[in-house]
Amino acid sequence: MSVITVEDLHKHYGAVRAVDGVSFEVQKGEIFGFLGPNGAGKTTTIETIEGYRVPDSGRVTVLGFDPRKDGYEMKERIGIMLQETALYPDLRVSEVLRLFASYYRRAVDTDALLEMIGLQEKRKAFVRELSGGQRQRVAIALALINDPELIFLDEPTAGLDPQSRRATWNWIGRAREEGKTVFLTTHYIEEAEELCDRVAIIDHGVIIALDTPKRLMAGMEIESRIDFAIEGVLDGTSLESMPGVTKAQSEGQGAFMVFAADAQMALKSLIDLAEEEGFVLQGLTVEGATLEDVFIRLTGRRIRA
Amino acid sequence: MKKLLHIAMNEILLLIKDKMAVVWMIILPLGMTVIAGFAFGGFSTESEAVVIDLPVVNHDGGEMAAVVLDIMSQTASLHIEMEYDEETARQLVTDGKRAGAVIIPSGFSSAISSGQPTALELIVAPGGQTAPLLEGMVRGVTSGFSSMQTTVDVAISEVQRATGSHDLDYEGISARVVEAVLVRQESPAVRTDVTTVGSSEEEDFNIFDQAIPGYAVMFAMFTVLSAAGGILDEKERGTFKRLLIAPIPRWSLLGGKLLAQFLMGVLQVTMMFVFGALVCGVHLGNSLLGLLLITLATCWATTSLGILLVAVIKSRKQIHPITTLVILGSAAIGGSWFPLFLMPKAVQQVARITLVAWAMEGYNRLMILGGSLADVWGNIGVLVLYGAICFVVGLKLFRFKEA
Repeated sequence: MSVITVEDLHKHYGAVRAVDGVSFEVQKGEIFGFLGPNGAGKTTTIETIEGYRVPDSGRVTVLGFDPRKDGYEMKERIGIMLQETALYPDLRVSEVLRLFASYYRRAVDTDALLEMIGLQEKRKAFVRELSGGQRQRVAIALALINDPELIFLDEPTAGLDPQSRRATWNWIGRAREEGKTVFLTTHYIEEAEELCDRVAIIDHGVIIALDTPKRLMAGMEIESRIDFAIEGVLDGTSLESMPGVTKAQSEGQGAFMVFAADAQMALKSLIDLAEEEGFVLQGLTVEGATLEDVFIRLTGRRIRA
Repeated sequence: MKKLLHIAMNEILLLIKDKMAVVWMIILPLGMTVIAGFAFGGFSTESEAVVIDLPVVNHDGGEMAAVVLDIMSQTASLHIEMEYDEETARQLVTDGKRAGAVIIPSGFSSAISSGQPTALELIVAPGGQTAPLLEGMVRGVTSGFSSMQTTVDVAISEVQRATGSHDLDYEGISARVVEAVLVRQESPAVRTDVTTVGSSEEEDFNIFDQAIPGYAVMFAMFTVLSAAGGILDEKERGTFKRLLIAPIPRWSLLGGKLLAQFLMGVLQVTMMFVFGALVCGVHLGNSLLGLLLITLATCWATTSLGILLVAVIKSRKQIHPITTLVILGSAAIGGSWFPLFLMPKAVQQVARITLVAWAMEGYNRLMILGGSLADVWGNIGVLVLYGAICFVVGLKLFRFKEA
């Protein structure tokens, strides 16, 4: 059952085509990842789905509602966590939650919510006194305050320490177990790999890939990735001519990234090259294919570039 | 409606939590009003008479000079100083230490007594506000002597015509006329009766009758327009977007914020009037209902002006100087600092474009001129219309989203 349907969505800002014919569906109960570099059209697409922006053309339905016409009813049933954690600094945590709870017909118990996000001891604290991570958790709590069927999470773990990030992943996983649908935007590729049932990659306003992370990685037939830095001088073009190497690129400041269909052969060739050219290899790592590789292969750059 | 009230309550809650805003809203207006009241002679139920120190140099020393000094000494608004010589008296005026000085020339008495022309010299500094007052007083004295000389001349010529005698004592007659005039001063044949009309409040004008409403309106504008600017602040901070993604109808969102601003304005003006009545002895006039309606209409117009400014102005940085200019400009020409009716006609006409002028005219009519509700319906109507126009245009131009 489709919870979100986007058909041929277009949104231009002057000459800039922010969203240029985007179409996809999000199924009930899945965690749908939406990836893309900055300026790719992610935020415009999400805000159009949320009803905050009006598209130039195309059709969007959310839980069966048209966000432009039935936005009020739709908002009662969705939860949104914005990318910027915009809260009132002079209100206490409990006051913020109570305030936003008052805007919904149905709201969960704010104390239970505080306990869930681990901020019970901070309920009397002013928002301005919270750390960035704690504010992020309050923002997540606000997205859950109306017990929504569909949750939009825009960079929910940005700036969080590993422990808090893991805790957030647990909440998101629990939301899926409760039958909620999650639309997740993230820069963290491992987050998308860990959580998402399906991932859409958008670039230059166009969806360039949409599938499960495993299928995306398999479909690309992506090689192993060898990352290293050197002390000395190396002409990058000599890397691509090494046996077993399919692609090589400089990452700047003496760092390189090499893709290899045969990692063992490529490593041997790299060590031979280092001895011949007289440079020293540093920080050498070999990784199997990841979603990041898919992203790089498709967009030509890292997701956080 | 429930959400509108929640939004309004949140706005008020946020304001109360901002201690500087509370200072700005309550303590500062009261402090400023009291200072302004003192500066203009407040806390005095009766206006103190202005007394002008007037050096008088008597080069004559005769009987008529004594009469001049006697008349001047009896003038309540003059304090005669005889201790200066002419050079010092002139220097005091030149230095601005005295508003003027009078020189009684040598031979003044004999000239008066013999019917010869003479003059009292009044020295004044150019542009002095009291110069016309002094000139009027001295002219009063000299014209008295002129009248007396004319009287003596006419009397002597009539006696000469009737009796044919030319051996009359001119100086003696003059002296007797002066004596008779001085006696008559006690019970003059022709009096000036001064009648004061209007209500008792008018007779007992309190400077705070002007200062309290004037500063209340000005600071209510600061409070309301500053709160309106808070919408831009919320837009820039992102909390406005947070509200927009909640299921809040837009009219509730904006209405709640405007309601809070309106209520804060009304509360502030009310507190100023309560303080004025209890501490400064302000006369609230004959119509409390009129005061209430003027206050509500003023706050409505101010709130609507706020939404118009927020709709037109792009950022928080821009709104601060613009609102300050609007508030101080309209307060200055609209009658917040001085009663509108004391201003030049041209200024009064220009001031009509400000809501302050309509509000202050209404307050002045009720509190200073003793008017009734019927006298301020026009002001209330204009303020309501002013607010309605700003509200409709502001709402039309207001952008909930930035792109």
